[in-house]
Amino acid sequence: MIDLKTLRSLIKLMVDNDLTELDIRDQDETCALKRAGHGAPVVMAPPAATVQHAAPATSTSETPAPAGDDSPGVESPMVGTFYTASDPDSPPFVQVGDTIGPDTVVCIIEAMKVFNEVKAGVAGVIERVLVENAEPVEFGQKLFSVRPN
Amino acid sequence: MFKRILIANRGEIALRIIRACRELGVETACVYSTADRDAPYLRLADHTVCIGEPPAADSYINMSRIISAAEVTDSDAIHPGYGFLAENAEFAAMCADCQIAFVGPSPEAMGRLGDKISCKRLARAAKMPVFPGSEDAIEDEDEAVKVAQKIGFPVIVKAAFGGGGRGMRIAHNNMTLRTGLASARQEAEAAFGNGAVYVEKFLESARHIEVQVLADSHGAAVHLYERDCSIQRRHQKLIEEAPAPHVDPKRRDEVCKSAARLVRNAGYVGAATVEMLLDEKQNFYLLEVNTRVQVEHPVTEMITGVDIVKTQIMVAAGEPLPFKQRNISARGHAIECRINAEDPANNFAPSPGPIDRFDTPGGPGVRIDSHAVAGYRVPPNYDSMIGKLIVHGDTREIAIARTEQALKEFHIGPIKTTIPLQIELMRNGSFMHGGVDIHFLERLLKG
Repeated sequence: MIDLKTLRSLIKLMVDNDLTELDIRDQDETCALKRAGHGAPVVMAPPAATVQHAAPATSTSETPAPAGDDSPGVESPMVGTFYTASDPDSPPFVQVGDTIGPDTVVCIIEAMKVFNEVKAGVAGVIERVLVENAEPVEFGQKLFSVRPN
Repeated sequence: MFKRILIANRGEIALRIIRACRELGVETACVYSTADRDAPYLRLADHTVCIGEPPAADSYINMSRIISAAEVTDSDAIHPGYGFLAENAEFAAMCADCQIAFVGPSPEAMGRLGDKISCKRLARAAKMPVFPGSEDAIEDEDEAVKVAQKIGFPVIVKAAFGGGGRGMRIAHNNMTLRTGLASARQEAEAAFGNGAVYVEKFLESARHIEVQVLADSHGAAVHLYERDCSIQRRHQKLIEEAPAPHVDPKRRDEVCKSAARLVRNAGYVGAATVEMLLDEKQNFYLLEVNTRVQVEHPVTEMITGVDIVKTQIMVAAGEPLPFKQRNISARGHAIECRINAEDPANNFAPSPGPIDRFDTPGGPGVRIDSHAVAGYRVPPNYDSMIGKLIVHGDTREIAIARTEQALKEFHIGPIKTTIPLQIELMRNGSFMHGGVDIHFLERLLKG
């Protein structure tokens, strides 16, 4: 059974973003919500099986685990060291408040002495930079949170 | 000793390595794919690194991501476990290039024993009996007859580039050899696009016996006796035991000693397993050498008292073996059952999904090596083994009875496992007598 706290967040998400329908599937768990006009949303399909919510894998304080945060942003496509600029003397690629497009280079991740430019993959405005310069990052780790256009 | 080891594997072996590292005072960093995000053993590692999506190519066999994970966690060694990159010489070389120690042999030693032709050459020099057969592809019938004469009938003609039982013909005499050669060639050409075949001795009924060896970088190699892994289905082991029952003690001794010699002569450092076939006349034949720690290493640990994974790490760090051959003795008997998430009643269909119940057995001589717990969800992306039950007893009879009892206490659900079949095997007359051949299980399942 989907818990009430999650259900409340989903409903708030719908209202905040003026969504009429929301259909979520997570492995065995499904949930479909539909808003009737401006009234309270109605739960349509009951969830299937309970998903065991084990604690996300903990790592060191320097590398927070990618705990399935679904808010929009840029996730790391690889394992390596995060750099905000192309070199120590250059300004950072992006800062909070910058508008970005899917092809905007937002950072560099270095792995095995190779420096890889990372493209945003989303369009919007940079809300927060979630990683420090020269910090190690893992696959799937959230690097920037982005407010979509 | 290493400061921190990156564990480039998953499941029960990752947990096994974490435990060995803890005992050695070595920190652990464990990689995981997104499918293993909730794996319970990750909480026991000092650091964890998500390296990619579930497909092995994006995660567990992705060399650059694994090396990067070692770099970002400041690990000075990588333990590859078994499977995945454990026997990949290219990966071992990459580790060396990046100045990260590889817990395993050097790429050169791995090649020397991993390449079948080179291995057989070294084996002959170590006075180890080698599985007789033609060195290369057979060019014509006359050559086949010559080879068969040398090694003795029956022989099997095998496709050089294929498997799955195709392009294979068994021959008991020259006539059937000639006709078999032609039809095997034709079938191989049709199935694999390459009609190259070779000739090998065929054993009607053979047992799979393997010898565990540990070697250090100071020239010492010690054997830890043998294992019998004849209970197999589709070349996958299901039950293993140590020592091998009904083996002539003098032959056992000879073959174990020559296995250690082979490994030492190859300049190999680490854990190696020398795999052989044993025929009905108590003749051993070398099949191949596995240049890694094996799934079934616990049965050897139970009879010798040696921690194979710890020793592996110690020798990789340059330390000498902490024992000599004369310090090694085998006590009692050990049996391992691989617990797979498969339904034996439904043609071994995989049975992934959530585990609600995971009641483990216990008591004297009962060991469980498993990463699964109640609440764990078995991911569908990897092999089906969810754990191993290893039981030790003073005699083989006691070990069998104890294994049966332990299996009966082991309740896993609602997923299906191989436990009911393994209980049946503990009660099977032929198994209880001991010494069944590698086709025994499949015959039993068919009948």
